[in-house]
Amino acid sequence: MADVLELEAVHTDIGQHHILQGVSLRVRADAVTVLLGRNGAGKTTTMRTIMGVLRPSRGSVRFEGRPIHTLTPHAIARLGIGYVPEGQGIFATLTVEENLRVAMLAESAESRERLRRVLALFPDLERFRQARAGTLSGGQKQMLAIGRALVNPVRLLLIDEPSKGLAPIVVEHLIDALQAMKRQATVVLVEQNFAMASRLGDDCYVMDDGRTVHAGPMAALAADSALKRKYLGI
Amino acid sequence: MKRAAPLVIGAALLLLLPLVAIEPRAWLTLTVAGLAMGMLIFLVASGLTLIFGLMDVLNFAHGALFSWGAYAGFTVAMLVNGHWGWAASPSVVANAGLFLLAVAAAVVVAFGLGIALERVIVRPVYGQHLFQILITLGATIVLEELIRIAWGPNDQVMPVPLTFQGSWDVADVVVLRFPVIAIGLGALVYGGMLWLLNRTRVGLIVRAGVENNEMVQVMGHDIHRYFTGVFAVGSALAGVGGLMWGMFSQSIRPSMGGEQLIFAFIVVIIGGLGSVTGSLVGALLVGLSYNYVAYLVPKAAIGVTMGIMVLVLLVRPTGLYGVGK
Amino acid sequence: MSAPAPTPVQAARSAARRERWRAPSLYVRLALLAAWVLLPAVVPSYQMLDLALKIALFATLAASYDVVIGYTGIVSFGHAMFFGFGAYAVALAVGRLGASTYGHLLLGFAAGIVISGVLAVVVGAFSLRVKAIFFAMITLAFAEFALILAVQWGALTGGEDGLSPKLPGVFAAGAPGAFGLSGRLVTYYTLLAICLGLFLLMSRFVHSPLGRTLQAIRDNELRAEALGYRTFVFQLIASSFASVVATVLGGCYTMWVRYVNPESALGIPIMLDVLLMVIIGGIGTLYGGVVGAAFLLGARTLLPNLRGLGASVFAGSEILQRLSERWLLYFGILFVLVVFFFPRGVLGTLREMAARRSTAPPEG
Repeated sequence: MADVLELEAVHTDIGQHHILQGVSLRVRADAVTVLLGRNGAGKTTTMRTIMGVLRPSRGSVRFEGRPIHTLTPHAIARLGIGYVPEGQGIFATLTVEENLRVAMLAESAESRERLRRVLALFPDLERFRQARAGTLSGGQKQMLAIGRALVNPVRLLLIDEPSKGLAPIVVEHLIDALQAMKRQATVVLVEQNFAMASRLGDDCYVMDDGRTVHAGPMAALAADSALKRKYLGI
Repeated sequence: MKRAAPLVIGAALLLLLPLVAIEPRAWLTLTVAGLAMGMLIFLVASGLTLIFGLMDVLNFAHGALFSWGAYAGFTVAMLVNGHWGWAASPSVVANAGLFLLAVAAAVVVAFGLGIALERVIVRPVYGQHLFQILITLGATIVLEELIRIAWGPNDQVMPVPLTFQGSWDVADVVVLRFPVIAIGLGALVYGGMLWLLNRTRVGLIVRAGVENNEMVQVMGHDIHRYFTGVFAVGSALAGVGGLMWGMFSQSIRPSMGGEQLIFAFIVVIIGGLGSVTGSLVGALLVGLSYNYVAYLVPKAAIGVTMGIMVLVLLVRPTGLYGVGK
Repeated sequence: MSAPAPTPVQAARSAARRERWRAPSLYVRLALLAAWVLLPAVVPSYQMLDLALKIALFATLAASYDVVIGYTGIVSFGHAMFFGFGAYAVALAVGRLGASTYGHLLLGFAAGIVISGVLAVVVGAFSLRVKAIFFAMITLAFAEFALILAVQWGALTGGEDGLSPKLPGVFAAGAPGAFGLSGRLVTYYTLLAICLGLFLLMSRFVHSPLGRTLQAIRDNELRAEALGYRTFVFQLIASSFASVVATVLGGCYTMWVRYVNPESALGIPIMLDVLLMVIIGGIGTLYGGVVGAAFLLGARTLLPNLRGLGASVFAGSEILQRLSERWLLYFGILFVLVVFFFPRGVLGTLREMAARRSTAPPEG
């Protein structure tokens, strides 16, 4: 099966800091690829580079074979890539419904239908539809963030640390939701929570110091305690 | 709705307290003048606060747009009055016609300048605050000098339509006409902006962008088009504000923009970045307090304005209605 | 017994120190200093003397502003206000409120320093906590307020007409004797010495551990905070220090020009001038102020001659005449062009080119 996403030797600088020093990875279609690594390894920077928020100084990013590293974020989003950033990025002063509407690329019958389906997927959001998004709980905000990404037909979903700051039971709900989505889209997931990562992930990459240092099936990494200790300190 | 209570109490205090020191008839005149001044400042501040809120740009050139709007309106007014005498005429229709044409001129010129400024001057330095400030400062100087070159450096008398001048006699109280018109216009503009922001898709995206413009881009919207749009609309508002101010004071001069810009800045600080309602509340607050104090202790007027700004910053550093980022 | 091996930081510092003696820029600066000291002897014209000292004063003022925007990274519009405070403090102490004596002169400086220091700390404490843009606006508001206050409080400040203090003793009368120096010359050398002293002080400040921390904060505030530095305190110290330097320079300005009014000492024109000087010279270079001041003030002295030229050439068309008269227009255009094409300024660009060519640590 063709790769949905391919990064080749990507280098990204932020100001004077050379953050990504050669990241290469391949994302298979209809699978969940997990990016692991310690804090500061460059995982979020990688996601932001894919999304076009940061521009790589070297290397290339290809989506379904076509180079996207020179495109603006909004063009990349319109190609069918959804992004759920770290910290959710929801608009606190807007209502839940308004948040979802902003996510729509255009107001049409189809997009309203998709909106209904997202609300059906996350009943809490339906209940708080007119509430200000800032008043939601952590878990609900995360659901909203993911819901927003699903309002459009996406072929690739980038999710950055969804379980951060959430209570274990909420994380359980999250895993259920993500597993339901898994069948419909290709997902790249950045996760520090290894248990969650191993339950959802098919493939994994480990990053350290701005480079990818390990690649392989998730199951293999989960089984190898020496590797886990070496790269993740667990 | 929770915020309405302190607002109502505050408004009541602000309006009623001065009655202690000022007798009712003067109070009414001052209140009208204060509200009018507030509305005119609101016109300038509303654009400024949206530009800050959405684009994170400190737009010093806003003052120059104020001046250009005034001069553009002035030129049209002089032409129309020169050819058809619509300002000097006692007909309300003619007066209104001239007024609308002048406003249209101010809007068109300021809007166009706004687009040009955003594309050429602001966009290249987007993200670098220091350079933005410098470059908009430089642009202001150039624009102001161009006015001096084209129209001359001296004050000019602004033709004001006859029926807009003078006053009404309401129950033995003198109520000046032009300020009331200014208040009406301001209220219209405020209503229009609220409608745009809350009931249209464009407004929705702008509101989202004010909170987090990176997120809006990532969701598939070309934020730069919104930047240009907001900048242009804000500029047009400043232009209208300039024209109105010119008619209010019946004279215009090249430096008028710079002089009023400081009030607009203070109002934006008080009201909070990115909030149109905030800038309305702040503007009315400043307008009213300035007029009341100026009547009682003329030299303390600007001091009181600064004092309010300091007070608000102490209590609420992001401004009364600030959208914290 | 041998001394313990130096730590990496110590080694780097002594290497940098040695480099400084070898660096060509040191000799350029010594040459400039010599030029200033010898000028009165070589060129007896009063106009040149005036220009030279003004360049020195404004170069130092620009450098102090550079400490705020270049090294600390804060955009503030209050700098000219502090300059104005110093100017007025000295003018009042020696003129209106006091007598023309040395004591009062020093008192003026001291009062200015205290007022500015306190104000800088107060304004800083309360506005540094907000976003950068906000801070810029707030300082602008305060500066405007100060200007309006100066104009309206005529009883104290002489309003728009300003004050014309007389200098005490040696500064007015001169020091006959071995060198036969006139009052002007005594003032000239004293002020030059003060400027030099302040400049060196700022240079030490910027290169001290405190200064380096500031630069780290400027480059990446979040990281500095994560490393445990209370950025707020550092920024406050730096901006207050720079404000006090500006105050002293304001007092010096009064001593030289012997006339103070709101427009010339407190107004936005001074702020814009200083800003442009720093931009032209180069933000974050400290010495860039010298280049910027020399360029701007030099051009302004020459421009009136050009203006006369313009008037005669374009005698027919009024618009063309106005175009050639309004040098402010070109000032504004220059501003914009410099920001676009030379954001690093003259010195900054030179340093960048030098750094690219060699691997030695950058001097300054």
